[in-house]
Amino acid sequence: MSSITTFDPLVDAPKHHHPVYDYDSGPPVERGKFAIWLFLATEVMFFAGLIGAYIVLRSATESWPNPEERLAVDITAFNTFVLIVSSWLMVKALFAAEAGDRSGILKWLGLTILGGTLFVSIQVYEYIVLFGEGNLPRTDLFWSTFYLMTGFHGTHVVVGLIWLICAWVAAARGKYTPKNYLGLELAGLYWHFVDLVWVLLFTIVYLF
Amino acid sequence: MSQDKHFNANKVFIGLIILTAVEVAYGVIGGRNYLDLPKGLLWGGLIFMAIWKALLIAWYFMHLKFEGWIVKGLILPTPFLIAVIFGYVLPDLADDESNLVYPIGSMVEAKSGAVYEHMSDLQKHVNPDAGH
Repeated sequence: MSSITTFDPLVDAPKHHHPVYDYDSGPPVERGKFAIWLFLATEVMFFAGLIGAYIVLRSATESWPNPEERLAVDITAFNTFVLIVSSWLMVKALFAAEAGDRSGILKWLGLTILGGTLFVSIQVYEYIVLFGEGNLPRTDLFWSTFYLMTGFHGTHVVVGLIWLICAWVAAARGKYTPKNYLGLELAGLYWHFVDLVWVLLFTIVYLF
Repeated sequence: MSQDKHFNANKVFIGLIILTAVEVAYGVIGGRNYLDLPKGLLWGGLIFMAIWKALLIAWYFMHLKFEGWIVKGLILPTPFLIAVIFGYVLPDLADDESNLVYPIGSMVEAKSGAVYEHMSDLQKHVNPDAGH
């Protein structure tokens, strides 16, 4: 076989040094962070839909029960306090990651997980007591909306806890450095979002 | 991740705790059991404090304050979209009859569509011999 020799400037031209740019051609934000914020925006809409439905049902119902007479506001107020504390502990964990303090990350993140676990435990206890009193989701509209909104949020807390536990294991393996702790930051963003939603739900479900 | 994101987390945390305490006190004391404030005043105050807390969490704990225009651009449309959702909801709230849903605990009999305000009434209708 004979071969035809041609001059291909892309292949045969003398090699030049490629310029090295000190910027990334992508958007000026980490892809993971872009994704999580987009996801959180959709989550906001999901909860807004639930709250909107609740407002319509509640306002259109002739006599809505007084939440204080049906729910343990004091216990849930304490639970709100627990979730806010865990959110604050999460910030401490991020500060520790920024400082390269691995034991600090493990300590603060561990406490955050404990706080979240306590929150879920109290909510489960609340459900057990309410179920024992015969207050099931199908009992009436009050309980339907109550279990839907708090249950949906509780599921988010459980997912957040699983994520935080994964982040804790990653931290224990030394995955996070002062220059790269994005995984921890993303878990933290989700956790703060869970806290943010609860602040609104607590007001609407328990205090209105 | 190299930009400076430091803020006084303790101050924000204390602010959140104080706001929660004030909110619970306002909700309980101003509620039906004590002062029985007008709904607009009670709900307005509660929502104001709840949104204030939510903004503190988003702005500081979620670092929204330190993010660039892309992240802010992702989340900023949501309040507008929420307003759209609630805008669609408003006609229902403003309905003249103001009673779109039957009283709480009401049951609808599937075949006839008759509404019973108490489940026991429906059970009597379905099974008239029950209890005899």
